[in-house]
Amino acid sequence: MNARCVRRLAAALALSLAAGSVFAESSTVVAIVHAKLYTLETAQPVDDATIVLRDGRVQAVGAGLAPPVGARVLDAGGRIVTPGLMSAGSQLGLLEVSSLPDTRDHSVSGGVLGAAFDVQRALNPNSTLLARALDDGLTRTISHPDGSAVVPFMGQAALLRLGDPASLLERPQVAMFVRAGTPAATAAGGSRSASWILLRNALAEAARYRPARDAGAPRDQLLGRLDAEALKPVVAGRMPLAIVADRESDIRQAIALHDDTRLPLILYGGAEAWRVARELASRRIPVVLDPTLNMPASFDTLGARADSAALLHAAGVPIALSVSAFHRSFNAGSGLREGAGLAVANGLPWFEGLRAMTSAPADIFGLADRYGRVRPGFDADLVVWDGDPLEPSTQALHVFVRGVEVDLTYARHRALARRYAPPPPGATSLPPAYRH
Amino acid sequence: MPHDSPRLFLMLASLTLLLPFLGGPAAARDDDRPSGQDTARELRNFAAQAYPSTYRPLPRRDALITGATVLDGAGHRLERADVLLRDGKVVAVGQGLSAPADVVRVDATGRWVTPGIVDPHSHLGNFPTPYTGEDLLHTDVNEDSDPNTAQVWAQHSINVQDPGFARALAGGVTTLQIMPGSTNLFGGRTIVLRNVPANTVQGMILPGAPFGLKMACGENVVHAYGDSGRFPVSRMGAVSGQRGAWLKASRYLDEWRRYAAGEGRHPPEPDLQLDTLAGVLTGDIRLHAHCYRGDDIAQLVDMSHEFGFHIAAIHHAAEGYKVPELFVREGMCAAVWPDWWGYKREAYDAIRENAAYLEAAGACVAMHSDSSVSGQRLNLEAAKAAAAGRRAGVDLPPERVIQWLTRNPARMLGLEARLGTLEPGKAADVVVWSGDPFSVYSHADLVYVDGALAFDRSDPARQPKSDFELGQPSQGAVP
Repeated sequence: MNARCVRRLAAALALSLAAGSVFAESSTVVAIVHAKLYTLETAQPVDDATIVLRDGRVQAVGAGLAPPVGARVLDAGGRIVTPGLMSAGSQLGLLEVSSLPDTRDHSVSGGVLGAAFDVQRALNPNSTLLARALDDGLTRTISHPDGSAVVPFMGQAALLRLGDPASLLERPQVAMFVRAGTPAATAAGGSRSASWILLRNALAEAARYRPARDAGAPRDQLLGRLDAEALKPVVAGRMPLAIVADRESDIRQAIALHDDTRLPLILYGGAEAWRVARELASRRIPVVLDPTLNMPASFDTLGARADSAALLHAAGVPIALSVSAFHRSFNAGSGLREGAGLAVANGLPWFEGLRAMTSAPADIFGLADRYGRVRPGFDADLVVWDGDPLEPSTQALHVFVRGVEVDLTYARHRALARRYAPPPPGATSLPPAYRH
Repeated sequence: MPHDSPRLFLMLASLTLLLPFLGGPAAARDDDRPSGQDTARELRNFAAQAYPSTYRPLPRRDALITGATVLDGAGHRLERADVLLRDGKVVAVGQGLSAPADVVRVDATGRWVTPGIVDPHSHLGNFPTPYTGEDLLHTDVNEDSDPNTAQVWAQHSINVQDPGFARALAGGVTTLQIMPGSTNLFGGRTIVLRNVPANTVQGMILPGAPFGLKMACGENVVHAYGDSGRFPVSRMGAVSGQRGAWLKASRYLDEWRRYAAGEGRHPPEPDLQLDTLAGVLTGDIRLHAHCYRGDDIAQLVDMSHEFGFHIAAIHHAAEGYKVPELFVREGMCAAVWPDWWGYKREAYDAIRENAAYLEAAGACVAMHSDSSVSGQRLNLEAAKAAAAGRRAGVDLPPERVIQWLTRNPARMLGLEARLGTLEPGKAADVVVWSGDPFSVYSHADLVYVDGALAFDRSDPARQPKSDFELGQPSQGAVP
């Protein structure tokens, strides 16, 4: 952080008092030079790469390219550069302090909304979790609901792009989340079979549903109008079903549903997915898994094992990552990297670990035309790392979103760390409350 | 609910009533000799282990580990060094050690060697996986029937078949302190275990390890009780409940002291709850306090002065970095996470620099898990905390950071004379890592407990697996 940046930041602050990340509008051209660049096009890095960022996009990529005249030149000094990371599942923007209901918008337990529950209207660009995630190199996330009032639906997820508070929501309604397994069984009256019957019925009702003036839904329809309408894109195959399931039996049910309906499916959780790897691979059903889960945390995950990502990859299953409840949102960036590192420590090839946080989720969520690889015309969302990004102790040195470096100087976690930094010996000063 | 069980109540009550007649040390005499002349009278042993350890080290052979990068836990880093283990103890650490021919040679060239990890805050066994819906109703980790349950002992809750023990072992954890939970002002006694498989908890208890008492500040207690309108509903209520208990315990201790000095004819009525608190007041039981906020920690420190006890450690200490001087002045350790924050109000200000800032101030810092997941990877927890420190200008070398996992938690548990470093005479608790222990790619290849090889990553015959996991879908997977 140099003095010029500080001045620019102060000016930006004078215009906007938004806390957390500060995202300055800028048309500056940036050239990152001497990078060890993982474009994600191939497993091999481009050494001594130059990446030119202009108007929010990558303009040029190549080894040893001369930076354009007038560009801000950032010397990466041989450090690793990757696309900004993407979590395939968090509740970023939907919570601040998870024990406090006032600060939580990720689920509804009352009211009428089931499939129609959609998180897009709750997103909080000033959530301090976003700055924490950006500081750890995360620039995109699927932010998904955690539960609705109608079993087995959790609701509709959104794609977020971090960095600019004005455009946090990149795309709403990217997937319809459905819960399977023990939690769904409990909500469905006591058996997971009931939850699958309810899901199949809901899809059948939505397929039959026709909005008509003066005509209500059929009298025996369980779905409310809003939920039936929300499921229309799902039954039309335009919105994937994201089924959260860990136990093998539930995963097999999800596959059977896919076979019966041909609806696009994404499997979340998948603790025992490795036992069904061939079936998932032959259908190209991607799995968003938690590589930190290697133990029987519940009776649904008795088959969890540390090398599950490696086994799924070896079988040809596309994988992306979402780490388990705690780090998923509060440490969305670092938790993801640690998860990828653990997957690699247990047999997943290193490059696949990086893919699982970048191009793999981009492919799964239909972003492959603009994000997930470093290619001319793609989003200029990039991170310069001070080491291997899969090591938890590595830090993001520079994070670019839309070609502009994100400045986190005044992010809450950094401000606290600065305020309480060990004082120089002999220093006497006012109480910490005066330091900011 | 457990507290509704009349049978349990009667058992507890009868035990309490019968104790004086069962021949405890203080109940031995009840005659008419004048006070002051009964030399056989002793102060009651408030910290007596009535359910003692039957632990024996696993079968072992002396070993010479050679050619490693050694972080000895005492602050040194040695390259291409050897470690000699004999009769369960560390005998020597240095370059070019020699050993008799029958000593097993372990080539650790290119690998790293550290002391075994000590997790000072675990719920393995008393909150065992798999978790189920039942755990929402009641668990064996919290006796949440009353805010003061200083009388309960964690060791009476432990399910030795918790699959988490073997996984922690595979992560290099050789010693664990199992704590009661934090819903109570006084949660009960802790217990220190050797992380070796056994079919009884007695077979795991580290002989001679001091008991701890788990206390809790703040939010959890107030939620557990206040949310249903029971005492305490506020922080000031919580502190008053703690002070009241210490007052009673001080009186109880005084009565026993006077009786031991020969006053009075009858010993005081023994009380399991007051025994634990009195044991803290005499210094025989170590105090471990769950406390997040800096201002809450300061209240606890003043309470320790008011009643004259020492706080061994503040656990979690999310805002420890705001009051580092208290840790230094009081000689308290801080048992912390590297990056947990935001899940409740008192964790909102937790920052990753916490451990490094406390260390920089001169405090004794340890990583702890409180989790069967991160408890397998305390080495990475330390790596993350150290990295945050480095970024903030507190650059600690690996030989210092390893102390957060070994020497410092051992100190916290009152075991620093026995384990936690690779110094001659210390327990041969040793981990041979495949590489730098602070890298995500490194594994614990070999784990020794008291000189016995308890885990070998390359040998399924040296990988314990709980009964629970037999025949389950994960069978055969290396943890």
